[in-house]
Amino acid sequence: MKLLTHNMLTSHVKGVTKGYPLLIKATEVKVNDVEFNPQFVSRMIPKLEWSALIQAAEELGHRQDLPEELLPEYEKNEEFLKRVHRVLLEVEVIEGCLKCPESGREFPISRGIPNMLLNEDEV
Amino acid sequence: MSDPRSAGSLLRYYCTVGNGMEPFLMDEVKRKLAAENVCQMPGKVLFTSSVRIDRISELKAAERLFLLLKQDAPVQLSVHTSPAKAASILQSKLLGDRNQWTRAVLTWSRLQGELADRRTTYIIPSTDLGGQGKKEGRGDREQREEEEKCCMETRNTTIKQREKERESRRLTSSGENGAQTLEKKRKREKEIFFEAQTLEKKRKREDEEWEERRMGGGEDSSSDKTLVKGKTSERERSEEGEGREMVVTFGKVKPGTDFNGGSVAVCDHATGGPDNNVDSNSRGIKDFAVDSVENVRFNRGDDKMLLELSRKEPKLPFCFAVSFRISCKCTGSVSRFFSTQEMSKVIGVGVSRLLGWKADLKDPKLEVNVNLSDDHCLLGIPLTRLPLANRSYIKTTGLRSTIAWAMASLAQIQPGFFVVDPMCGVGTILIEAAQEHKDACFLGVDIDDGQLQKANENVEFAKLGKSIHLLKASSMVLPLPSASVDVVVCDLPFGRKFGTKTQMSANLPVIVTEMERILCIGGSLVLLLSPQLSCLLKKILAQKSTGSTSNEETKPQTGLKDCPFPPLSSTKQQTFQIHQGVKSSSAQPTDPQSELQHSLPPPHSSLKHQATMRVSLGAIDGLIHKYVKIDA
Repeated sequence: MKLLTHNMLTSHVKGVTKGYPLLIKATEVKVNDVEFNPQFVSRMIPKLEWSALIQAAEELGHRQDLPEELLPEYEKNEEFLKRVHRVLLEVEVIEGCLKCPESGREFPISRGIPNMLLNEDEV
Repeated sequence: MSDPRSAGSLLRYYCTVGNGMEPFLMDEVKRKLAAENVCQMPGKVLFTSSVRIDRISELKAAERLFLLLKQDAPVQLSVHTSPAKAASILQSKLLGDRNQWTRAVLTWSRLQGELADRRTTYIIPSTDLGGQGKKEGRGDREQREEEEKCCMETRNTTIKQREKERESRRLTSSGENGAQTLEKKRKREKEIFFEAQTLEKKRKREDEEWEERRMGGGEDSSSDKTLVKGKTSERERSEEGEGREMVVTFGKVKPGTDFNGGSVAVCDHATGGPDNNVDSNSRGIKDFAVDSVENVRFNRGDDKMLLELSRKEPKLPFCFAVSFRISCKCTGSVSRFFSTQEMSKVIGVGVSRLLGWKADLKDPKLEVNVNLSDDHCLLGIPLTRLPLANRSYIKTTGLRSTIAWAMASLAQIQPGFFVVDPMCGVGTILIEAAQEHKDACFLGVDIDDGQLQKANENVEFAKLGKSIHLLKASSMVLPLPSASVDVVVCDLPFGRKFGTKTQMSANLPVIVTEMERILCIGGSLVLLLSPQLSCLLKKILAQKSTGSTSNEETKPQTGLKDCPFPPLSSTKQQTFQIHQGVKSSSAQPTDPQSELQHSLPPPHSSLKHQATMRVSLGAIDGLIHKYVKIDA
């Protein structure tokens, strides 16, 4: 699971009103080289929940010195985009779990794929 | 070295397409190839383009690509025409101008050469010469050709052996024929043509086997994979070898040929081989083939000569010229006169007589496809051995790739879009979409571990791990925030392979509601449904939106309640609307209708219908629906 995916995920366990952002407990993290595409990164940034991304990166120890607040005019800041690229696409959680901040329900991540499937009584 | 081969000559092509895919392909050729004179007939799209063949062969919506040889008005045969007469009419009508055929074949062989070039550039970085970078500039063709040569030289001996065998087979058969009298030859042709069907089948089987090997190889462990890959590319390379020879040949023949002058009596065999016993009535096209034979000889060394000598047929080899095969498809009135095989024979014999080409059903250099119907008459030469619809970048196939591509194109994905497939299966739609849209982000969701595993392998195989992400979840409870997604695409399981029909139709309302929820305003929903599910979905959404429209209607005119018989055609709809009107005026939240077995939480649909396209999935048809989410 890449942090770009994590940024989108919410928990929909029954009764939960704010299942976002999910906490990450990683047991295996991999950093892959992914071809850098500045257009793609700057297109994705407005769609991100920035604080959730920073929190997740922090949890994994890969914050890359990214600031709390999104920089203005980041489109032109290639160095910044590269760091965002690394956090979004290169850091990958292979094993571990995601935890719903409200209910505490844990969703396992195995072989890089999070399992967000709920039991029938949780829907 | 400039590039004389792509001098931008306008060529006319046609592609076969799955039923219902014609509009997608028409749109694609116009958009990507700046194609002109684009027109369609059922199952085919014709167009003219000057774009390089390698780009044309990258069309996504097409099945197979052909160089157009001839397009004509349908052949009209009166019911009283005798078969012999019919045959001669067909021959004169379909064959016509010899130059047209000659030109087409020369163009065809040039295009084959260009395609071979392209293949080489693909192969080189991934195999033997893996050391060199992928980013080889398009400009250094010279260098590349050097490398190709070296690549050819270092070709593995077994391949050479195989090719030799194949060539000698060819020569052998030609030898036999060369010695025979014309009559015998005809007889043989007749036999050959009757074998057509079995051979066609055999060839298909071969293709399938090859396919299987490719696929099978893919599923093995990674070490095996590289091995099989190697084999495949060798095979490709051997094909490409042939292609190159043709190109060389083309270069040699060209100066001697004169298309305007009709028959070309040039016999400039300065290049002639050791025993240059060419027929004196050689034509341009013969020269061409002769040359290619000589080339083969020259390349393959001596054993072929030995073989020939041992056959003791001095006057043999060069009358077989281009070896060809006719593949015929007839419908309508013409098909009442001849079976497909008979038709192939009639045309094949005509071609042999007109051009001196040699029929070879088993392993021809050239295949000519003939399509005859009441509406058109179309002759073409296939340009690729495998259909364009076979994707080199997909390992495990799920949905038909052309359909997947069409769905992605309907979704109108833009840079920066977030695209979700809530039932992605092996990920075919996302892969087709991500190939085309490098600047978008894709999320594939599925509930089945096995499918996800295959999807994961597919994504890796296609090197799309950057843009496609995978997730296990139910399509009925997607772990995504509302209004967070730009596009939802989905091939809803028909209940044949996955799940059951009843389960699917029972869940459809919830699934669609969930898709609607995650879409942002203005976002697109593109679904592929079985005819049954398509009807059901229309019903569900109609019901939802009837709820909303009747609401709007009742407010201004308070009409429906007062008027006992609103002017509606369908009584079912009538009662429904009245019912609905009453309900909404009494300001109750919409209760699920009794005639709808499925309850639906949100009363109004914000999905606005945009298009429905019916496409063939082989045994059955599917319907592609497109909706846009509006601010309800």
